[in-house]
Amino acid sequence: MRAAEHSQAMHFQARAGEKVRNPVLQRALQKAKPLFVGKRAKGMAALAEDGLAFEPLRSACEDIRNRVLADLDVWLAIFEERAKASGAEVLWARDGDEICDLVIDVARQHGVTKAAKSKSMLSEEAHLNEALAAAGIRPVETDLGEYIVQLAGETPSHIIAPAVHKTIDEVEALFAEEHGRPPEPRTSADIPAMTREARQVLRQHFLTAEMGITGANFLIAETGTASLVTNEGNGRMVTTLPKVHVVITGIEKIVPTLEDFATLMRLLPRSATGQTISNYVSLLTGTKQPGEHDGPEKTVFILVDNGRAALLGSAYQDMLRCIRCGACMNHCPVYFSLGGHAYGWVYPGPMGSVLTPLYTGIENALDLPHASTGCNQCGSVCPVRIPLPKLMHRLREEQVERGLRPWSESFGLKAWAWLAGKPKLYRWFARRASRYLNWLADDSGRIRVFGLAPGWTAGRDLAAPQGKTFHELYAARKRA
Amino acid sequence: MRVALYVTCLVDLMRPSVGFAALRLLEAAGAEVFVPEGQTCCGQPAWNAGNRALAVDLAKKAIRELEGYDYVVIPSGSCADQIRNVYPQLLADDADWAPRATALAARARELTEFLAEVMPLAQMPAEFAGSVTYHDSCKGLRGLGIKQQPRDLLLQVRGLSLQEMPDCEECCGFGGAFSVKYGEVSTQIVDRKCASIATVGADAVVGGDLGCLMNIEGRLRRRGDETTRVLHIAEVLAGGEGA
Repeated sequence: MRAAEHSQAMHFQARAGEKVRNPVLQRALQKAKPLFVGKRAKGMAALAEDGLAFEPLRSACEDIRNRVLADLDVWLAIFEERAKASGAEVLWARDGDEICDLVIDVARQHGVTKAAKSKSMLSEEAHLNEALAAAGIRPVETDLGEYIVQLAGETPSHIIAPAVHKTIDEVEALFAEEHGRPPEPRTSADIPAMTREARQVLRQHFLTAEMGITGANFLIAETGTASLVTNEGNGRMVTTLPKVHVVITGIEKIVPTLEDFATLMRLLPRSATGQTISNYVSLLTGTKQPGEHDGPEKTVFILVDNGRAALLGSAYQDMLRCIRCGACMNHCPVYFSLGGHAYGWVYPGPMGSVLTPLYTGIENALDLPHASTGCNQCGSVCPVRIPLPKLMHRLREEQVERGLRPWSESFGLKAWAWLAGKPKLYRWFARRASRYLNWLADDSGRIRVFGLAPGWTAGRDLAAPQGKTFHELYAARKRA
Repeated sequence: MRVALYVTCLVDLMRPSVGFAALRLLEAAGAEVFVPEGQTCCGQPAWNAGNRALAVDLAKKAIRELEGYDYVVIPSGSCADQIRNVYPQLLADDADWAPRATALAARARELTEFLAEVMPLAQMPAEFAGSVTYHDSCKGLRGLGIKQQPRDLLLQVRGLSLQEMPDCEECCGFGGAFSVKYGEVSTQIVDRKCASIATVGADAVVGGDLGCLMNIEGRLRRRGDETTRVLHIAEVLAGGEGA
């Protein structure tokens, strides 16, 4: 598992603590949360205007994704054949290193010195920017959020809003430095001006980059087409201006037909940003043909495994339905307490808590499947009905089966389960526990520090038990 | 109708008044109520920790004790979810136990579900002078579809006014062992719940799960809110005190 080398997921506990205590981050998150949740709710409510409803639509989307996964090899072969027929080259990468090697090869063949990138989470899996820079090729992120994150030397903290953790003051400081001007006081009213400024800088990069790199939201098998769903227009620039276009995408991103794509598009933008449709939806097929005015002279698809094929036929196959909308993290109480960086690898939130252990090794991300209250707010909004809590639960079971849980936890659970299996002893113990907790409590009946559960009393009081246990009182009542 | 009351281990230890309130409500509804003797814990902590073997043991124990009644009523959405949704999948591959798990699941009801749908009370025994806001616990809401039942029941309490808080369906951050293992994260989540509660300024927060309520109460008090009462819905509906 090469990906594990870049993962910080084992430091979740420590990172979570830092994030909770970072007031600037907390302000940014508190601002973003109601926007995401509110906009999605509105977008879904608007389905009724088209005579549609969320539940039947997501069943349809779930079915499309399941159909693909049932015969993924066949759909990939069809895609490859059709893409080649339209003039594109199709390459395959087993892992992140192979992605980097292939991209650098293509870049060298075409004398590329600068690559303009549109958002691609797979390039984050591969640490492509570092590899390109090491090979003497300058990668320039052109999605506004990615651009900000790249200037800050950070990684995206959200899969569709990479800079959601940044405040306007932080962005202003980065822009002032990069764009060579003195910093100015900014409010949200200045966002359009700041965006314009970034656009002007990026425009030069679009015009000078010899290579464009994008991901793809879907690959459409019947036509050999890559679809891009974006809001800023940078995706169009990246895919039409440079002479070479490289599409890096996971093998699971296939959909059979354009019709299927249209169905999925009913829910993708609505789930992500609440939009009925995103500002730009591009369908990119092949290279520039004679007589056409724009488009790349060379199109290369890099189809990536990096852990995906191993999930086929496993208990986690449902996860491969994911269409990367971000709704699960947008509705996750844990995500919005921490932001994405606490999760330690490319994907945050509930989908990340499933994918990170699966792609980087279960033993390298022990906290993530447990870092969930089990509330299922994620599962209830997922447009392809991925049972995220169930998958996290299965990962917890696998940790137990492989002896990866702390000794104290396993012993504690066993002792408690043994006791729960002996009602008389359990009653006696419960009576003692009740007395003990009352002895710990102060005059107002509250326990302020509880050594057996310090995590609880660090943030809240524990009300002492009322006194005698229910079963004690009930037995006495029956005797009376 | 023979109804078994499964009081849950948290109610047994921490807040027996909830168990007695549930008992009074079931009796007032006309049920013949039994409290099966050997009952302890439904096994949810083991299940949540990923310890399947222990969860299976405790599920079988609970099934043995709770089968044979017309209904099993549980004053907790999460324990009811465990019995109704988890037991059948936990024992699905066991030819002897699968039918028993499914049969019990079909008879298991969370308290407000039971009172709203199976055995409605002619008249709610309690009065409550004041306003309450209802917190939807996750397992009850998203696992069992409990949303309207508790509200309908609360509105039958004389004197009570119901004020909805914003984001009432948001998790309170309890999550069982989560609140201890990831205490800081949990505190951050429950802080948002406390802020929602504060915006309505109700006299009491009411919910159907003691775990969530202990979490909310503990944080409210730590934040210095000494006045907002935190009550289980059984206590509000039954009125009165203790055993």
